[in-house]
Amino acid sequence: MEIRIQGLTKHYVSEGKTVKALDSVDLTIPANTIFTLLGPSGCGKTTLLRCIVGLETPDDGEISIGGEVVWSKARGIAVPTEKRGLGMVFQTYAIWPHMSVFDNVAYPLQIRGERKDDIKRKVAQTLRFVQLEGVENRSATKLSGGQQQRVALARALVAEPKVILFDEPLSNLDAKLREETRKELRSFMGTLGITAVYVTHDRVEALALSDSIAVMQAGRIVEIGSPQKIYFDADHRYVADFIGRANLIAARVVGQDGELTLIESGLGPIACQQRPLPPGSEATLCIRPEFIRVGADRAGTGRNVISGDIESLEFIGEVYEARIRVGNERLLARIDPDTPVKEGDAVSFSLNPAHCLLVSA
Amino acid sequence: MNQSRPKLTWSLIAIVGFLTLCPVLMLFLGSFSQGLTAFGTFTLSKYAAAYTDPFLLEVSVNTLIFVLGSSLLSTGLALVLAYLNTRTDIPFKSAFTVLSIVPMMIPHLLFSVSWALLLNPSNGLLNTLLMNAFGLDEAPFNIYSLWGMVLVEGLLNMPIAYLIIAPAMASFDVALEESSRVFGAGTWRTLLRVTLPVLRPAILAAFILAIVRSLASYAVPRVLGMPGQVDVLATYLYQMVATGFTPDYGKAAALGMSILSASIALIVLYRALTAESGKYVTISGRGYRPTVIELKRARIPLFIGIGALSFLMVVLPVAVLLYTSLVPYSMVPSVRAFSLMSFRHWIEVIEDPLSLLALKNSLFLAVAGASLGVLLSAFVAYVIVKIRTRASGLLESLSFLSFSFPGIVIGIGFMWFFVQTPLYATLTALLLAYIAAYLPYGIRPLASAFVQVHAHLEESSLVCGASNLTTMRRIIVPLLIPGVVSAWILMATMFVRELTVSVVLSRPGSEVLAVQILSFADDGLWGKLSALGIIMIAISTGLVLLAMLAGRQFKSMQGGN
Repeated sequence: MEIRIQGLTKHYVSEGKTVKALDSVDLTIPANTIFTLLGPSGCGKTTLLRCIVGLETPDDGEISIGGEVVWSKARGIAVPTEKRGLGMVFQTYAIWPHMSVFDNVAYPLQIRGERKDDIKRKVAQTLRFVQLEGVENRSATKLSGGQQQRVALARALVAEPKVILFDEPLSNLDAKLREETRKELRSFMGTLGITAVYVTHDRVEALALSDSIAVMQAGRIVEIGSPQKIYFDADHRYVADFIGRANLIAARVVGQDGELTLIESGLGPIACQQRPLPPGSEATLCIRPEFIRVGADRAGTGRNVISGDIESLEFIGEVYEARIRVGNERLLARIDPDTPVKEGDAVSFSLNPAHCLLVSA
Repeated sequence: MNQSRPKLTWSLIAIVGFLTLCPVLMLFLGSFSQGLTAFGTFTLSKYAAAYTDPFLLEVSVNTLIFVLGSSLLSTGLALVLAYLNTRTDIPFKSAFTVLSIVPMMIPHLLFSVSWALLLNPSNGLLNTLLMNAFGLDEAPFNIYSLWGMVLVEGLLNMPIAYLIIAPAMASFDVALEESSRVFGAGTWRTLLRVTLPVLRPAILAAFILAIVRSLASYAVPRVLGMPGQVDVLATYLYQMVATGFTPDYGKAAALGMSILSASIALIVLYRALTAESGKYVTISGRGYRPTVIELKRARIPLFIGIGALSFLMVVLPVAVLLYTSLVPYSMVPSVRAFSLMSFRHWIEVIEDPLSLLALKNSLFLAVAGASLGVLLSAFVAYVIVKIRTRASGLLESLSFLSFSFPGIVIGIGFMWFFVQTPLYATLTALLLAYIAAYLPYGIRPLASAFVQVHAHLEESSLVCGASNLTTMRRIIVPLLIPGVVSAWILMATMFVRELTVSVVLSRPGSEVLAVQILSFADDGLWGKLSALGIIMIAISTGLVLLAMLAGRQFKSMQGGN
């Protein structure tokens, strides 16, 4: 089901100051996609999620789910949480400690007053789906973190809601389990074909899981796009910086050259991915460390060849992380461990214009 | 240092064991013997006499109603108050803190007396007012009844229940409720199916603690039950040993054994439940602000209800006592009453040698008892927290056992012991019994103080080159001072007002404040009683305020903010 949000605004008063948690947010979440709200803590992503589910009351705007208006200031509509028919996985899982696994998962069905044998069948089916068979009668809080996470997922799925909301569901798992669970979650949701709204501050999680990502800052949505678009082709400096490690260098547009935009920067003249910017306008050059290829002697276009000195070299396992000084700029680069370089070496490298991104200044 | 530890543990076990087990053992032996001074030959006659007494059935039924009724009242009230305070937008939440500290300031004895002054059937102030106002021939309320006792005991134990339920409710993960609502359950259904079941261990623990306390309660039945001849086990037991009747310590011991066993069983259950509620703590999240439930139209009426309760529990008792201490005899407030006010009762009390002796004795017991008690508690707490051996586990169980002992029963047990020694009828006897009965009150704050002194803090001082002694002086003692201060003040407050143990053990010459107040009550000297009572409240309140002030002082000293 499609979720439409218009002009959604929410204020908090904290220590005498008014904080805009949501600042007139307009957003359409298309049906049957995994949609992620990404941003640092305090950007309003959780508030937005809680407004959708109805646990938070906005100050202004309108929310509709599948064509039905569930909250509207102007029309005075406020459907309570329990009548919205959604599913949700909480950050703390919110597994009820006084109930068994079965009772936790059966709860949404019991509340709807479904027949006992139907409940039994559906719970068993859902637990099989999340690969959690044979623990029905265990006390839910006695399970491991990963298993509790699955109970929470099963509970959100069991009543077959059209929309499921995820509030940082992986943040309480340790790193290894988080990665496994993330992959499983992706495959579960791929199978189901439902609308999922997913809140996280973890960029890797967002990139790996989502069909579409909305990056938020200070109560506003800065940019929306596919993971690839957000990573490789962001429009905003803030987004490019948040979604991955980046070298951000002040630049000024010089002109256009066919498919490329030419700039002047601290690295010298650089040819970049095309942007419709007039000459003289200020921009920021964004280069991801993995695209600075030192030593790889690739025959390029002869463009963007830059030389500098390796200032520091740090071994972090799969690669060296190098700090390369070019004039007054410092660039972070990733260098293959078998490349014969050492600190103090003068190196030259080329930048593929396709990976030289121009973002807002 | 390591070699001396087992020795320390075992000597503490000997001291604490003596203090807690001596009265129990003496009670046990006494219940099978002939009389107080000579144990004589083994006999079951006291059990036969105690349990075939025709009054026992009526007394037991009364006790059951009194205990269950008051515990239900206090737990129910505490639950509502805790919910309103932690989860709703009710105004003036600081009032709740006041409600939970009050019992520390107003001794149960005086609280009961003030209700007697208000609602006794012959000249209770409120009764007289109502009779005059509505032209009634009879007093509308009689506090000298079972329901009066239930009401007053319930109000008195409410703060204890609140202090157990409120933290559980405050640490409750609100997501548990939110998820229930997401999955389709409304507010009421969520309350019944999620909130209350999750809180069940805490609620049950509060209920059981209220039962233990009301079972041990002596002040309320003595002041409100005896005039109407409503006896519960505590007062019934007291009458068996009271001078003036024909004291039978053997029969009292025989009956005391079953009260003691019931009480111990309940405390064991209580500890199991509190351990259980610890297990219910789930993964804690980032602590999203809980949604405050808007009371809407109910907000103001509920607030007025809380205000009325605070008035009943805090203002009214003190006001009634103050008023009674100033008027010459019981009369409804009027212009005439105010014109007749004088300090006559106050002067009489100050000039009364017996009252002065009681005041002196109580102050001595408070200062000496709290000092010795804290000293002992500090060692016990150290061993319990820092030395984790089987012996220290035994010490922990021993030291918390006395928490379940009803004061009257402890008193009778100690009476069996002291009568064999030269300590009988001395202040030292009271001092020992006080420390034995209230040891957990000293150990608890000190144990939590020791918990805060993490081993790393000690070790890093040693690593820095400081000796054991320097570490003790520079690191451990400064960190412990807040715990020591609050334990001392808590014990001193308890001792200033102590009634139930004293009422059995106090003899001419070793009177204490509460016993003296009780004898004023027996003689109907309400004016003098009130004056002495206010002095007692003033001492208690002063100590509690001092404790809060000291606590704040230390906090600002240590936190630097």
